[in-house]
Amino acid sequence: MEKFKILVVDDEQDFLETILKRLKARKIEVTGMESGYKALEFVDTHDVDVIILDVKMPGMDGIETLREIKKKKPLAEVIMLTGHASVESGIQGMQLGAFDYVMKPVALDELLEKVRQAYDRKVIQEGKA
Amino acid sequence: MDAPEKKDWLLDERLLQSQKLAAIGELSAGIAHEINNPLAIIRQEAEWMQLLLKKLGGRDHKELEELQGSVHQIVQQVDRCTEITRNLLDFARKRDPVIQAVEVNRIIENMTMLVEKEAKHKNITIVRHYDETLPMIYSDAPQLRQVILNFLTNATHAIGKDGVVTITTRLSHDDAVDIVISDTGCGIPADHLSKIFDPFFTTKPPGQGTGLGLSICHGIILRLGGRITVDSQLGQGTEFTITLPRSRESELFAHA
Repeated sequence: MEKFKILVVDDEQDFLETILKRLKARKIEVTGMESGYKALEFVDTHDVDVIILDVKMPGMDGIETLREIKKKKPLAEVIMLTGHASVESGIQGMQLGAFDYVMKPVALDELLEKVRQAYDRKVIQEGKA
Repeated sequence: MDAPEKKDWLLDERLLQSQKLAAIGELSAGIAHEINNPLAIIRQEAEWMQLLLKKLGGRDHKELEELQGSVHQIVQQVDRCTEITRNLLDFARKRDPVIQAVEVNRIIENMTMLVEKEAKHKNITIVRHYDETLPMIYSDAPQLRQVILNFLTNATHAIGKDGVVTITTRLSHDDAVDIVISDTGCGIPADHLSKIFDPFFTTKPPGQGTGLGLSICHGIILRLGGRITVDSQLGQGTEFTITLPRSRESELFAHA
């Protein structure tokens, strides 16, 4: 069992349900939220290590959510998911402190590898603090 | 490509540059904070005016319509200012590097894939020359991604349409790796070369570029113990070389 806790934020129900199912099948502690607002509420009351965040969502988009998450939990690592090549938001996201920027569709193993690296980074930073 | 006597000049220049950057960063963060408060009040008042104007609506006054238009414009321009102050604050917020083992080629390839689709539409080809035997380096992965993405975007912007971006990775002589990003774009005029890392220096039309991209990249690479050199021929293209130390202890420049 992996040590980290993941939050996946995506407004696409189908995607969200499937990825949650697949991650849970690997015995990973994971929660899903279908909007930026709900994600922010969740991080207020729960411990999360790595957040996988869709860039394009109605209402509060991924960039805005990232900005707010980083204000609340600067040490939480965020991996941005994008359906299409959106370079501008990519730069913005990285500038706001996202850990990585990944294009959909992404292989689960690859995504998990990135999550592990992001988690390592969080552990290093917590050690510093 | 660069002459050996250029090196010493570069060293002084870099020291000056990092001090200048730090000073401007602090100043602009202060100003951005101060300006955000009055901006918020202006926006709130303007929104209140919009609400009142809506209540007065239906009376079919030409003046009323004009007032609504004006207030709308005020809100829009306040939003524009907010975007600028936000960018400034993002710029000023320095993040201490977190050092991890990093696969340089993989990071570059991921960011290249992000840029490639858009580049293809403009008939820009991206050519990879990765050294597959490149060792892992100790660096900050997300900050490197940001830098690579920025340079790749700049390269495609410099080309506009029809051209080639070439990315090369290689082992550098002094226990370091080089990432070379070159484009067949418009090139940088000689008198601009010394200014390209200055914050707010941009040749883009107003509202289209903050002029912060390269200065942010420059700051990141310095904090990672590396350096950036540039070589450009007007009308033929530009080549940026990012040199990064392999291990966390070594810094290419002591003061960085």
